[in-house]
Amino acid sequence: MKYSEILKENNSLSDKLDGKQYNILVLSNIIVSQIKDVLEYYIRLEGINAFVTLGNYDNIVQDSIKIHDFDLTIVCWELSNLIDGLQYKSNLYSDGETRDLVNKVKAEIDLLFQNSKRASLLAVNKFSSLVFSYPFLDNNNFDFICDELNTYLVKRKNQNTILINIDKVIAKISIEKSIDSRFFYSSKSPYSIEFFKEYSSHIKPIILSANGAVKKALILDCDNTLWKGILGEDGIENLEYTSETPDGTVFEEIQSMVMELSKRGVIIGLCSKNNLDDVNDFFRNNKKLSLKTQNITIKKVNWKDKVSNLREIASELNIGLDSIVFLDDSDFEINLVKENIPEICCIQVPKKLYTYPSIFRNNSSCFFSLSRTEEDAKKLQMYKQQTLRHEQRIKHSSLEDYLESLTINVAFYINEIDLVPRMSQMTQKTNQFNLTTKRYTESDIETFVRDSHYITIAISVRDKYGDSGITGLSILQLDGSTATVDTFLLSCRIIGRNIEFSFFDYVVQYLAANGIETILGSYRKTPKNQQVSNFYNSLNFIEINSLEEVKKYKCSIENYHFKNLNYIGTTNG
Amino acid sequence: MDDKIKLILSSVFKISVDSISEETSMSSVKSWDSINQMKLIVALEEEFGVEFEDDQILQLSSFNAIKDIISKF
Repeated sequence: MKYSEILKENNSLSDKLDGKQYNILVLSNIIVSQIKDVLEYYIRLEGINAFVTLGNYDNIVQDSIKIHDFDLTIVCWELSNLIDGLQYKSNLYSDGETRDLVNKVKAEIDLLFQNSKRASLLAVNKFSSLVFSYPFLDNNNFDFICDELNTYLVKRKNQNTILINIDKVIAKISIEKSIDSRFFYSSKSPYSIEFFKEYSSHIKPIILSANGAVKKALILDCDNTLWKGILGEDGIENLEYTSETPDGTVFEEIQSMVMELSKRGVIIGLCSKNNLDDVNDFFRNNKKLSLKTQNITIKKVNWKDKVSNLREIASELNIGLDSIVFLDDSDFEINLVKENIPEICCIQVPKKLYTYPSIFRNNSSCFFSLSRTEEDAKKLQMYKQQTLRHEQRIKHSSLEDYLESLTINVAFYINEIDLVPRMSQMTQKTNQFNLTTKRYTESDIETFVRDSHYITIAISVRDKYGDSGITGLSILQLDGSTATVDTFLLSCRIIGRNIEFSFFDYVVQYLAANGIETILGSYRKTPKNQQVSNFYNSLNFIEINSLEEVKKYKCSIENYHFKNLNYIGTTNG
Repeated sequence: MDDKIKLILSSVFKISVDSISEETSMSSVKSWDSINQMKLIVALEEEFGVEFEDDQILQLSSFNAIKDIISKF
């Protein structure tokens, strides 16, 4: 796409997007102003209302104080401009001069990280000597300084900081295409539009994750997707999926990458036209398969159409259709799904099999998540437990009987610093049972935990089928005798068991014991949280002052009706 | 060619296409600063498949000047 077209489209997108603004600050010691329109455009295409502010030229440390007003701060620290012409001057430095420069920059790095400790999120570009590297000599002093400073960045960065390897960005498009030598020498603007486009693509997953737009499930076909051959026709002996054959190696790599995604918390499912018994036997009896049956959470292996199967998968896992990535080799199946469920991201196995692993790798960025917690590894177990509960539900006549049979117990954790990563992750990933859909980074949550004007209450839920882990969160803001519910959410894993009522009862009890008399709440409508639009109404809160997208509520503690569900036990975490 | 130039000026400086005339120049457009000048040059070079000389870049400061210089290619 031409640069002028990006400028034009970005302008028109800015009028159309009305969601909350995602504010990005870009700090640099060079001119990077072209990044504003390009990055805004790439992010706005995803439906996120990004707005980029450029910091003052060469004021990285000074501007780093402003960081707290922004959702994300990007730091473009150009090695060659640390000192005017460093790319050639450094190679004539003495050891002493080198040491002095390195120490000076290290002190600046310390200041940056000091100033940004409480920032929401920081993305710092690693230093790079690549565009000025000599093609034939060993590392020179410029490279040495680069390595020293990067090592220091890794050592000193805070939890809220991601380091971006811009060499990867440059490698994708070539050194020549990345630089704009003309504007580098005339205006200290070294990077080309091509570079900024590739850079924006590269960091997009970070921003998507911070906005709760990460894909949650990978649903795969089997024949010619997980192995070469057709199980039902070629027979097990003729399938290729190990390094015994060249094609087999490709599929072994694919299966291993699927396993890796599973370990990162991505739900893996099968959607295949086969006999379920054949597939189950194959997985059970075959040790050479890299993809293990324990890592497969859901199987829709039958002769029904895949569109229906995918819809069932979304419904049973309680995730949105747009959280699903579907991988299949068949033109027919891919087109069918694309036409009928456009929200699903479809990937087709390429005809040139040797390109399959790199295509898979490149597409995996859609699963990137900022926060990785212990819950990720346990998640698969939990989804499996969900299937068991689903089967039990059908056996009971009334919801209450069923819920009682589960022997549910909820544990409450108040201002628990150890749970900060998981609490942050929940705000980023929970879309359905979420009253205000506010996204918070770990740094944000830590601020709430430490601030006496806020209370964070997390819950974990256990029942006879297992432990769902930390699956609910409420953040309350206190002001005198009034408390406002900033956040109230439940993970989709624990929906449908009336846990929300038990949770809210506990919150109210806690607030009452701490002198609160009035509770304020709000519901902000999104495309995904319709199911909680009347949650406050069901708690007998009074609706006050409502706009189209936001409903505001109020309740005095003495008028609150406790549900006191006796089939849900509670304990303090 | 006129229309293409107007569209680019409009996108870079965030002004309406209709407001662009023979008089449009660096002095009459508030957002026409050196940073946006760089964006303008990149956009024009890409659109018309040209590369401006250094002295030409200095002269690209009005709608008329742009028309003149590009027509020389």
